[in-house]
Amino acid sequence: MTPPTTPTRPGSRTRAVTRRLAGHLARGLAMIWVVTTISFVIIRNIPGDPVRGQYETLIERGMSPDQAERATAALYGFLPTGSLWDQYTGYLAALAHLDLGQSLSTPGTEVTTLIGSAASWTVLPVLGGTLLSFLLGVTLGVYAGIRRSGRLGDLLSISGSLLHGVPQYVIGLLMLAIFTTLWPIFPAGGPVDVEFTPGLNAGYLASLIHHATLPVLTYALASYGGWVLAMKSSVATVLGDDFILAAELRGMSRGVVFRYVARNAILPLFTILALSLGMLFGGAIFIERIFNYPGLGLLLVNSIGARDYALMGGTFLVTTVAIIIANIAADLLYAVIDPRVRTAS
Amino acid sequence: MTIDPDPAAAPGPHAAPGVRVRDLTVVYRTPLGELPALHGVSLAIEPGTITGLVGESGSGKSTLALSLLNAVQPPGRIAAGQVEIDGLGDVTRLGGEELRRARGRHLGYVFQAAQNSLNPLKTVGKQLLDLGRSHGVADPAALVHDARLLLDRMGLPGARVLDSCQHELSGGMRQRVGIMFALVLNAHLVILDEPTTALDMITQAAILRIIREIHKERGLTTLIVTHDIGVAAEVTDRLAVMYGGRVVEHGPTTEVLGDPGHPYTQGLIRAIPRLSGDIDAARALPGRPPTLGTVPVDGCVFRERCPRRMDVCETGEPPVAWLGDRTVACHAAGAAPREKEHA
Amino acid sequence: MTAATVLPGQPGTPGGGPAGVRRNFWRGVGRVLRRKPSRLAGVAILVMFALMAIFGPIVYPAVLPRDDDALYAPPSLAHPFGTDFEGTDVLALVVTGARYVILTGVVTAVITVALGTALGLVAGFHRGRWDAALMRLTDLQLTIPGLPLLLVLSTIWKFDGPLEMGLVLGLLGWGGIARAVRSQTLSLRERGFIEAARGLGLSTTHIVVRELLPSMAPYIAMNVLIAVTGAIYAQVGLFFLGVLPFESNNWGVMLNLAVFGGGALTSAAALPYLLAPLLAILLLTLGIVLVVDAMDEIFNPRLREE
Repeated sequence: MTPPTTPTRPGSRTRAVTRRLAGHLARGLAMIWVVTTISFVIIRNIPGDPVRGQYETLIERGMSPDQAERATAALYGFLPTGSLWDQYTGYLAALAHLDLGQSLSTPGTEVTTLIGSAASWTVLPVLGGTLLSFLLGVTLGVYAGIRRSGRLGDLLSISGSLLHGVPQYVIGLLMLAIFTTLWPIFPAGGPVDVEFTPGLNAGYLASLIHHATLPVLTYALASYGGWVLAMKSSVATVLGDDFILAAELRGMSRGVVFRYVARNAILPLFTILALSLGMLFGGAIFIERIFNYPGLGLLLVNSIGARDYALMGGTFLVTTVAIIIANIAADLLYAVIDPRVRTAS
Repeated sequence: MTIDPDPAAAPGPHAAPGVRVRDLTVVYRTPLGELPALHGVSLAIEPGTITGLVGESGSGKSTLALSLLNAVQPPGRIAAGQVEIDGLGDVTRLGGEELRRARGRHLGYVFQAAQNSLNPLKTVGKQLLDLGRSHGVADPAALVHDARLLLDRMGLPGARVLDSCQHELSGGMRQRVGIMFALVLNAHLVILDEPTTALDMITQAAILRIIREIHKERGLTTLIVTHDIGVAAEVTDRLAVMYGGRVVEHGPTTEVLGDPGHPYTQGLIRAIPRLSGDIDAARALPGRPPTLGTVPVDGCVFRERCPRRMDVCETGEPPVAWLGDRTVACHAAGAAPREKEHA
Repeated sequence: MTAATVLPGQPGTPGGGPAGVRRNFWRGVGRVLRRKPSRLAGVAILVMFALMAIFGPIVYPAVLPRDDDALYAPPSLAHPFGTDFEGTDVLALVVTGARYVILTGVVTAVITVALGTALGLVAGFHRGRWDAALMRLTDLQLTIPGLPLLLVLSTIWKFDGPLEMGLVLGLLGWGGIARAVRSQTLSLRERGFIEAARGLGLSTTHIVVRELLPSMAPYIAMNVLIAVTGAIYAQVGLFFLGVLPFESNNWGVMLNLAVFGGGALTSAAALPYLLAPLLAILLLTLGIVLVVDAMDEIFNPRLREE
């Protein structure tokens, strides 16, 4: 009798997952460090040195050097005087305390507050749009994968490639042109009509949904093609696997075989799902700009337009953190749903 | 033409069924057009026997095995001929639900790559229940019980195996799970495609023993596809030798191996190195086996490598000659006295 | 790459030898293109854009004429896509804008491929410490969100002209190719390819240039196309967002002015101004999708059987 391969004990699997998690966290921290360093270098190298300028303006207005220094530090996250190294460590220390500084364009407001309120306007539409396109794309992708040579399958693939290939802003602009100008059934911008009082009342919620429709649809259309293509190729791969033929030769019913194909094919897509949620924060920049939707992307664009560097650095950092979290989530998700993730790897 | 046995005497599904393959041609669609992988194959598998199907890779033996389930995979298709199975009729005419129900219930198939024949995401037990549901098994608990007995019988911890996923089982274990799936619905025609390839010698011997025992116990008709003459010699009652999409020799194993009639069979046996004896006595067959594209259209398919090639081999397809209890398809076999095998 | 292996004066035997292989390759290309006529259309589209980029600015005057009497004119024979807020012909804007857009794409592709291939080869070839360090760098490059980074960079760097723009995009986009080339190198290595070549006494340069690169060429070629599109989208997007100074003609500038500038979207009459550059991008995407589809089939023979 041949001995079985070392059986996976639940304990060792948990330990493996923990080890992976630790690796991810270490890499995530390294990335955060790189991104903050980039922000620091950029802010330090802005033409005209606004940090120094701010400091000197404040002194001219009669502040003591001490006060001026602190006021400037609050804005930019690091002291306007001192050596480069002191400035850098000061910047990192502030970040470690989750202090992203104060906004220049909205005086007196913490950057974290602005980011917090913008985040919900990004997260909900991104989530809604992605899930919508995931469900649609995966369903049609199964069809396209099974009927690879049919006319409808071809149509699904080509339309999928096209939607996947076209940049998000093209889709967004077309939606804008069609549904706000040619056939104005949706509002052109903003998150909600101003005449409604925020809260759980029908008018406000309806207006909210009305305004969110185009952004959500754009997110969905922009990512739909990717799902169709990914699912199609995943289905094609699984269909070639031996166990599918084996199931057919055992006389498994069509329903069972279909479930075998679908479940195995969808598995790698869950990883992409988690990743794409993170990546969509980048795509949010265009969609929020087009529909004037007050999320993180618009915040970043506006902060650059207003030369609000603390806000810019903070938004950039948060976007990166979102991607790091998505990476970790994707990996953990895979470990949870795929029984094959072994201790060895 | 064989005459069909009296239908009234035809055995029901729960006795060993006989199989009659007649003029079966299977073609594969390639860029060069449709090329035959099986060319007018006729073969009778007698009820209750273990028949071996041997040949080099590309000889069409797996295609023939799949044809018994009408499961030739695209781009291949059955172009002509019949596969008559007792209790089922001509399976090449079956389709849809009828065919699906026959597979698994009447025809047990142990997949060539049985190592990978399980859904990696589901436990063996869950896949067993899927099988039961697919075939309308009324009592799933009894099915699980049968499966466990079969697994225990094959020397596996049945209960634990049913709770395991594929990646938790070793190659030999998976192979036995594959055999369990082929038998658990009480199929009486069992086809094993390379059941022992990729297994170590010990496991291979164990699995062959199990196959033989269960075959006898349950009264099965068994077909074993293998490229390993040793395996065939060990378990089979009858042996069919395939070359270039044809059955070139078929008869009782002892006769075919002890006194091969076809020059190809002779070459095959001469090519086996013996444990005891001079390694130089093993002579490899010259040349290479034909592939789909290189099988000669006219004449004998083996003539390129044949030591006893004659003019007639260039043009005429060799007739099937009966030599006692067996058939040999060779121009030389009927005409010339057979060269005795020097042991 | 293949051309380098044909020795001068050595006639290629049909079906064998490098020349024969090459002839078969082109025959394969022909067959693949003929099988789906849409692919020929894809090639035609790409050729058309290339011609636009090369000859567009030559055909039109350096300063496009304005017609003050025809602001936002509807499409007509003289102006197939109407005119913009200054009365300039939209078609002329699209055609002359193609050079900036496509030149950036080409520069990006060259840098991406050169950098990605080199780093991927080094990592896959040397393994060990070099490999680990380079792959960390690649991971980093792939995870840092590209567009936000570009936006942030735009505050201190104006990316003047298509060359600088292409340089930036190339420096931010080599990760994918590097990873792919590395895994290809590793897989060739696993198959004993490199050891065998070493055993024959071939130099590392020879192995890389004559053996590794040709077998990866198809892979790299596909990535070139993908890099070109990525670069085109990114720069048009940057101009569209309006974070860069509008100093030259670019489709992104048109989009920006159409949406945020003249208020084109308040009246349907001005829509052609918005739609023309969008159409150009859609057409270019379609061309690239069709050509990539064809390349896929040429280089992955497995896909040929349906």
